[in-house]
Amino acid sequence: MKPAPFDYVRPSSVEEACRVLAEAGGGATVIAGGQTLMPLLALRMSQPFVLVDINGIAALKGVTRVEGGIRVGPATRQADALRDATLARHLPVFVTALGHVGHYQTRNRGTVGGSIALGEPAAEMPATAVALGARVEIASVRGTRTVPADEFYLGPYMTVLEPDELVTGVVYPDWPDGHLVLFREVAQRPGDFALVGLVGALVLEGGTVSRAGIGWFGMGPTPIRARQVEAALVGTALDRIDPQTMARLAIADTAPFDDHHASAEYRRTVGARIFARALAETLDLRSAA
Amino acid sequence: MNIEAKMDVGGIGAARYVGTRQPRKEDGRLLTGRGQFTDDVRVPGMLHVAYVRSAVARGRIVSIDLDAAREMPGVQAIYTQADLAAVPVSFQTFFFTPVEAPVTLLADGRVACVGDPIAMVVADSRALAEDAASLVEVTIEEEAPVVTIADARTGALVHPERDDNIAAEMGDEDTRLAIQPLLDASAHVVTTRVRHQRIAQSPMEGRACLASPEGTNEMTVWLGCQSPHLAARWIALVLGMPTEAIRVIAKDVGGGFGLKNIPWKEEMAVIAAAKLMRCPLKWIEDRFEALTASSHARDQDVTLSVGFDADARLTAAWCDYACNNGAWPMGEDANIAVHMFMWPCYKLPAYGFVTRGWYTNTMGLGAYRGPWAMESLVRETLLDKAARRIGVDPVELRRRNLIYLPDQPHTSTLGIPVEDITPGECLEKLVANVDFPAFRREQAEARKEGRYLGIGVATYIEPTGAAGSMAPMTGETVHLRIEPTGKVVAMLSTHSQGHGTATTMAQVIAEQLGVPYEDVAVYEGDSAIGAFSPGAAGSRQGVIAGGATWKAAQLLAEKIKVVAAHLSNASVETITIDGGMVHVAGAPEMSRPLREIAEIAYGEPGRLPPGLATGLEAQYRYQPPPMTMTSAAHCCMVEVDAETGFVRILRWISSKDCGTVINPGVVEGQIAGGLAQAIGQVLLEDMPYDARGNPLAATFKDYMLPTIFDVPDFEYLHASTPSQTIGGMRGVGEGGCIIGPPTLVNAIADALSPFGEIDELVLPLTPARILDVIEQRDVSGTRASEVVPVAEVTAPVEAAPVAQVSGIDGDWNMVLKTPMGPQAMVAHFDCDGDAVSGWLEAPEGRQAFAGGVLSGNQLKFEMKVEKPMKITLKYDLTFDGQTVSGKCKMGMFGSAKVTGERG
Repeated sequence: MKPAPFDYVRPSSVEEACRVLAEAGGGATVIAGGQTLMPLLALRMSQPFVLVDINGIAALKGVTRVEGGIRVGPATRQADALRDATLARHLPVFVTALGHVGHYQTRNRGTVGGSIALGEPAAEMPATAVALGARVEIASVRGTRTVPADEFYLGPYMTVLEPDELVTGVVYPDWPDGHLVLFREVAQRPGDFALVGLVGALVLEGGTVSRAGIGWFGMGPTPIRARQVEAALVGTALDRIDPQTMARLAIADTAPFDDHHASAEYRRTVGARIFARALAETLDLRSAA
Repeated sequence: MNIEAKMDVGGIGAARYVGTRQPRKEDGRLLTGRGQFTDDVRVPGMLHVAYVRSAVARGRIVSIDLDAAREMPGVQAIYTQADLAAVPVSFQTFFFTPVEAPVTLLADGRVACVGDPIAMVVADSRALAEDAASLVEVTIEEEAPVVTIADARTGALVHPERDDNIAAEMGDEDTRLAIQPLLDASAHVVTTRVRHQRIAQSPMEGRACLASPEGTNEMTVWLGCQSPHLAARWIALVLGMPTEAIRVIAKDVGGGFGLKNIPWKEEMAVIAAAKLMRCPLKWIEDRFEALTASSHARDQDVTLSVGFDADARLTAAWCDYACNNGAWPMGEDANIAVHMFMWPCYKLPAYGFVTRGWYTNTMGLGAYRGPWAMESLVRETLLDKAARRIGVDPVELRRRNLIYLPDQPHTSTLGIPVEDITPGECLEKLVANVDFPAFRREQAEARKEGRYLGIGVATYIEPTGAAGSMAPMTGETVHLRIEPTGKVVAMLSTHSQGHGTATTMAQVIAEQLGVPYEDVAVYEGDSAIGAFSPGAAGSRQGVIAGGATWKAAQLLAEKIKVVAAHLSNASVETITIDGGMVHVAGAPEMSRPLREIAEIAYGEPGRLPPGLATGLEAQYRYQPPPMTMTSAAHCCMVEVDAETGFVRILRWISSKDCGTVINPGVVEGQIAGGLAQAIGQVLLEDMPYDARGNPLAATFKDYMLPTIFDVPDFEYLHASTPSQTIGGMRGVGEGGCIIGPPTLVNAIADALSPFGEIDELVLPLTPARILDVIEQRDVSGTRASEVVPVAEVTAPVEAAPVAQVSGIDGDWNMVLKTPMGPQAMVAHFDCDGDAVSGWLEAPEGRQAFAGGVLSGNQLKFEMKVEKPMKITLKYDLTFDGQTVSGKCKMGMFGSAKVTGERG
């Protein structure tokens, strides 16, 4: 390691962490699992004046049931969340998506909040938060606020988080037990950020979709909620759902780009296909693409 | 022939080690984190180096402001080229020929690529050095860069003092006149174009150098390299130091691949600065530097046209090859080897080519495992395309055209002799072990379900174990001794970057000497032991060092027997050595441990046979045949997901003939490593540059190496036809990286055949590019992003006729651009009317010619040479006053440019 010089602080409470962040005047970076930050520090692509290590703050860890939802502490290790009984039972879509984050080894250190706060547009966890309608709890010396996940992301690696703010929790609203998991991603190697991916939850009542939350990753500058297709699905009976039509609607909300791994056209083309296929398989539609 | 049969021919000891999977001697320290890599070495008083690099691809340096950086605590020195110019350097290639580009240690007034080192900060730690480096202010007047080969053809000069951006050029446009009619007359002509992406070499351990000045003018250099001997010689020559003043040590090296054949700017700047400061300096390349500022590889654009008769037999071929050399290649390269080795394993009557390397404002080109691998990629993918076009099975097409053993000796169109290649036999072994018809049935069934399976086959040969044909390619030396303890010590010229040479050489020694494998210690990786060799370069160590140890162990065994026979009053023929014990036939009571013989040999000279030297030592330097050919046929099966364009490798079978297999585990490890790189090249890896000359894959997030998930379990067939070397080995280091790419591409192309052809192979074959074929439209944007095709380069401009010259008699200083680098010589001409005789003199000697003809200002003459191989040089020179230019046809090497002026 040969990072640029920085001060290191390991606060033991959220209040203390917020105070350090405020005093740093924008020069602080929060470290939890360090799976992204450590290489950036070594290559000096990130050069904070103060590194705020939140691993000593117990309040930022763990999964708890709260009024109307499940709260995941941002410093919860991905590996711990994967083994969590509450999430497994009540939010299987979260667990499915989390299983695609990085690798077995990186999940031992990487945290749920780290993935969410980083704001990589092709990552699974930001899109999952957006799709499920999660709310991000934020604290600073100025007070606390809560931001809906789909308003949290501004662009690649850009969020509404102010330099003095800390993510203190992510609350996923209750989805009925037995909700259907919609997940598919296309990544060049297992563990990579996706070329294109989708994640979502569907609730069925009496052969009709009663609730839908669907998000894209790798399909634009931020995770994108597929609102048009959600609206079209809700209230529609299973035997009236045409996966191809729905896929076209799902793609309509995206804004993919070209990079040297794939073209926007590839992302749109394959995005529509994996959407149609995932939808058909999840809903067990006979007209599977 | 199989391994077991070969082994019966082998050793004199009873224990069989050659051909067995001995555990590697290196693994204990490597697997427990106790390897000694350059960064593990610490020297008292050592300081650390960081570089300030150009963020601009091309431009003039206006100013370098060091004031703020100099004031940083811990900074000991900051150098620019103005300072390091005090240490004169003349960069050379791996072949010890001069580099043509004006390479300096740090940027000399201009920068020619992003990552070009501009200043060097020396500080108490690397972190402090980087702190200061970030404060160095460099102002550069940016100029529009030359990034691609197309840019190079038409753009500004990368090196302003040169005439054009052609870094190297071979071949002859004129031969096209002979080839084209043959193609026109062929029943089928198939053309293919391959655009190979730029590769970042990505060894696990980046480049590394620790230079420690000692004594008056000596220097010990710990260096990540492929041969400490070659590095020591190279450094001494480049710095003008006596060879004995440089000692290079490299115990463990985390991968070389060609990148570490020779040190380059950064390592040499460290050595030069250490000389100036009289202080040990260390530089360890970080991953950002390794990806963006280490020599890159490949980046080629190749078009091949091949004619076939109605029976699918080869008629003629023409190839136009271009390669991006970057700004500072480790030797300008037109890759003549691509053309030399494209056809020796096939019956091709006629071949012609032009081949060029182009300077651009990108990171320089270096050698990379199988640097000529394009020959197999472009040929084998074209053959499969031809098989589909003509309607012949790809295996059958190869059978009709491959050279089998009964066809040999055979000489290729370009004059490469082959005497014992076995690509056909490897193919037959492959076909015998893989149920092709069953796969075709499964493929047909799968297609009905919308699943697309494909099978790909490729065959090739590879020159290995080169010795004596090119300057650094030499024999290998072993110093072997039995210690008074009875244990065996071998000191070798070899070097391992993971090759396991300590293991394989110990196996040979143990078997030939008759001692336990565990009793043999192998030392290498230090220029102070062993003797000169290029080390791990060109798939050679098993072949040549294997032969050296084989022979040296036999010589030492003979001496042991002489001593034992004398002590036992027996005849030498009755003595055998086995398991470290020396036995006398028929007299078991006279058996004694080797240790006892060794103690006598060292300590009781009176008991030795009269006149016999004391001690138990042997030394042998093995000079093998100039080249040893390895052959293989590979087969790969894939499934392509037609919805996403993803490729899944189902099986991969290697049928390889590397002669005697010393250790199957080591051989298979070499093949697997090369195939992993092949998979990376075909599917994942890419170092693109943007239009401003910025490398776009700066971390392993974007530079996608294959992981364990992307590499299948390979299956191996060993067809072990002994070579003509001592021991019968053939090289195996590079093969997987050469035959792997066409094997995988062919499998993918076969899977895609219901949709269409891969018209133009652009690597990597990303999922998007595979959808291009499946959907027959530009999903990937590859075509949309392509620049307008540039016009063919015109043939070299002949000097315009000028007024009759006054005469050409006398001496001329000429430079011949040979494939191994430019060669300077003095030419002397004597005219008698139109008849011209004279001589050419190069450092190797003077050779006379006669029978030249002068017509006007044009002189033509011929000269036969013996080295590096027998060829006739045909000169065609045009004189213009005090200068001369023209070309020299060099047989298979095509044409080389000649320039010169009156001496």
